[in-house]
Amino acid sequence: MNAFQRIATIIGYELRRALAKKKFLVLAILALALQVGIFALFYYFFTNPPPGFTIIGPALEEVKVMMWLVGVLGPQGLFIPLIAIVIAGGSMSEEYERGTADILLSKPITKIEYMTGKFLGGLTLLGFVIALTTALGATLAYGLFGPQESIQFVPVIYFALLYSNMLFFSMAFMFSEVFRRTTLSMLAVIGILVASSLIGGILSTMYFMTQEQLYLEVSKWLPNWSVSNLPSFVASELITAPESPFVSMPGGDIQLAAAIIAVYTIASILIAALKLVRSDVTKRTE
Amino acid sequence: MGNALASQPVITVSSLTKYYGNFKALDSVSFAVGKGWVYGYLGPNGAGKTTTIRTMLGLLKPDQGEVQITGINPTENPVQALQSLGYAPELPTMQAFFTGEQMLDFMGKMFGLATQVRKEKIKQLLDLVGLEEWGDKKIGKYSKGMVQRLSLALALINDPMVLIMDEPTIGMDPEATAHFRNLFTTLSKQGKTIFISSHLLDEVQRICTHVGMINKGKMIFDGPITQVLEAFTQQWVIEAELEKVTKTMISSLKKLDYVQDVKAERNKLKIELKEKKDFRGDISSEIFKRKGVLLSLNLHKITLEDAYLHALKGGQ
Repeated sequence: MNAFQRIATIIGYELRRALAKKKFLVLAILALALQVGIFALFYYFFTNPPPGFTIIGPALEEVKVMMWLVGVLGPQGLFIPLIAIVIAGGSMSEEYERGTADILLSKPITKIEYMTGKFLGGLTLLGFVIALTTALGATLAYGLFGPQESIQFVPVIYFALLYSNMLFFSMAFMFSEVFRRTTLSMLAVIGILVASSLIGGILSTMYFMTQEQLYLEVSKWLPNWSVSNLPSFVASELITAPESPFVSMPGGDIQLAAAIIAVYTIASILIAALKLVRSDVTKRTE
Repeated sequence: MGNALASQPVITVSSLTKYYGNFKALDSVSFAVGKGWVYGYLGPNGAGKTTTIRTMLGLLKPDQGEVQITGINPTENPVQALQSLGYAPELPTMQAFFTGEQMLDFMGKMFGLATQVRKEKIKQLLDLVGLEEWGDKKIGKYSKGMVQRLSLALALINDPMVLIMDEPTIGMDPEATAHFRNLFTTLSKQGKTIFISSHLLDEVQRICTHVGMINKGKMIFDGPITQVLEAFTQQWVIEAELEKVTKTMISSLKKLDYVQDVKAERNKLKIELKEKKDFRGDISSEIFKRKGVLLSLNLHKITLEDAYLHALKGGQ
């Protein structure tokens, strides 16, 4: 049995383990339900506009043909990062808490193979969830609002979504190994997510008030900026329909966003690996 | 306290030292386990038994010293060192979302067993541990004893050469305990090396060929089980039950060269010997000479429990 087969065994195990978690299932169902709800609201709004609200015909048509973007990028706002945190936040720590790490690591496998399998298993599951929300978004847009424009870019945007979510995923994974406590690791990452959103907001406000470029540059290095913006940057780069209301935002720095995600992800993975390799396997703590 | 190894040891623990913060959990622990031995590892709670086992599996890194399983260091090369090893932890916890069969299948995959081999092994092991009716049930529904049985099945999935078990029969009913005791003996006869940490001294005495004793992180004995009983026996005692005990009989027995002392209680005599030798023949002749009617005559042999308690007190 080679290293790849051992990693593949752990990937399979990790998928089953994560799927057995109620927290994950609830969040995934909520994300899908929310998507359906948002589309239902849009559909109702478009077909039954409130009294006094006039929608100009051509503008509405432009919106309708790009509704798939709402479906694909919408869940990225909150649910997908949260799902990423839930999957990765317990990946390593739950094995210590339940005492199952002993059973797994007393088998012929290296710690690095074990960690790689766990990471890739969780990431595969996250990939499935994003694929599901993306497919649902595109299907709902097509079903409710008719043929969609530029929909061929869905796969590219899917990978942009998956890549950007690796940041909080790997951060949660790292805390899961470093703290070896699921609640603590999840709280730490959610704290970082919330704090970076707040700080980012404050820095943007400062920039608008002072026009000082530094505030804007600093805000870009907060983890939240690249995660939230990379998929839409990619979308605006690909979709060249200037009249479309969803791509009217200025194209951002894709390279910078991608690099920031890579830095956070690689650093998190390295810290987790160092901690795992250098520490003892702790006994059951639950 | 060393013991002769017929061949290359299967498990070698050399000068193992392990700290938890400032607490020295293991203090230069050394022992070796030969092929086919059933090695009982004894010690009170907190003595360092589980720490030793977890270090042997590469789960803990020693601060000093080294472990070798079949000549390979499990910390440096877990893939090779643990390939032929089965481990049943103390009070195992398992993935409750798996069924017993799925758990065995997963562990079989970890050892690289082919699908057909796994299928056959799973059935065979579930039968062996008495869980044939429970294989398709989620582990979350198992009782503690059933989880313990499954843990033993998991430890055997790869047909290991070395079996390490931490309190393997804890939580099991007497019938299952007896079943597993026989199983361990059978496995040992098949040439497997078995390392058992246990509190059940009677169990250890029945199945183990060798014993290691640890207290406060230090090895206090390592050797064949016959040697441990010998080493910790201070005095041999013969207990005689007679129809009637007379003062003349007591004084004549006391006069014998090999008798240290004689204590009487109703019709029973406790004859303490100077040497660790069976003098029952001589004692019965002496009693017969004094017209005594002997009802029973037993040499009180030391049990492992006696030896263990004596060893813990620091005596030898």
